[in-house]
Amino acid sequence: MENVEMQDRPLNEQESLALIAKMIQNTQHRLERNAGLSRLVWGYITVITTIAVWIAFRLSDNYYWNYLWFLIPVTGIPYLLLRKRQPKEVRTYVDKVISYIWIVLGSTGFLLSVLSIFSVMWSFPILFIIILIMGMGSILTGLVTEFKAAIICGIIAMVIGAINYLTNAFDIKMLTFALAFIVMDVIPGHIVNYRAKKRCSKN
Amino acid sequence: MFKELNPLLHSELRLGVMSILISVESADFTYIRKQTGTTAGNLSVQIEKLKEAGYIDVTKTFKGKMPCTTCKITNKGIEAFQQYIDALQSYLHPGQHKKEG
Repeated sequence: MENVEMQDRPLNEQESLALIAKMIQNTQHRLERNAGLSRLVWGYITVITTIAVWIAFRLSDNYYWNYLWFLIPVTGIPYLLLRKRQPKEVRTYVDKVISYIWIVLGSTGFLLSVLSIFSVMWSFPILFIIILIMGMGSILTGLVTEFKAAIICGIIAMVIGAINYLTNAFDIKMLTFALAFIVMDVIPGHIVNYRAKKRCSKN
Repeated sequence: MFKELNPLLHSELRLGVMSILISVESADFTYIRKQTGTTAGNLSVQIEKLKEAGYIDVTKTFKGKMPCTTCKITNKGIEAFQQYIDALQSYLHPGQHKKEG
């Protein structure tokens, strides 16, 4: 939307209301370039780590390969810190809600993974639980931002999660885990970035 | 009865700034300048006026090596904005407000 230079001048009542409506609408329909970057970073890190763990176990059956899972926080947390140092131009209440959703779900997932790796909850189907938690995050984010692709991808990821739970084959468990993250993070991330790029180049 | 329009908000630029801030948690100076299409100098003056009135909080930080000014509406600002909308409605729908009064 074209922005006419605003001045320090009085307005009539209709102009005031029109201005308020326009400013609120512009801000609410904002989509920043690379808006899908976080999904892509977490999605690709998880997929690459899963494949690395899978290959490692195929080469030799050593429980300590599970420590490779820590590559996810080790590479993801510096990204979060970098992003925090460069705050967004504008932070809406929707951004705040989404950020809280992912802090709560991410911390829960991390805690359960650590417990699982250190064998405290050995019997837990941890890969299935992580898919469910992150799938919930994807669906909630989609609902809050009215982004249908994230809702659909979150649901599909949960179905993949069910397959992951029902199978006993190690290869299928690992590959369905990676596939779930491609579906709920990588695909929506690319869709958001494509839309943002299109919108930003139009403006 | 017409309600008095707050003169501090009844200006195109200051109302524009408040309308942006009412719908977000915070916004930085560059974003507000882009949305209002005004000059940095003019915007600084108007932001200072809103800050002096206690309608907005202004925080100065750094984005990398660049200085970054972030604005956030205060409770007093939200209240003033609501009263301004209420006053506007008394002009646009005078009959309705008479009945209510």
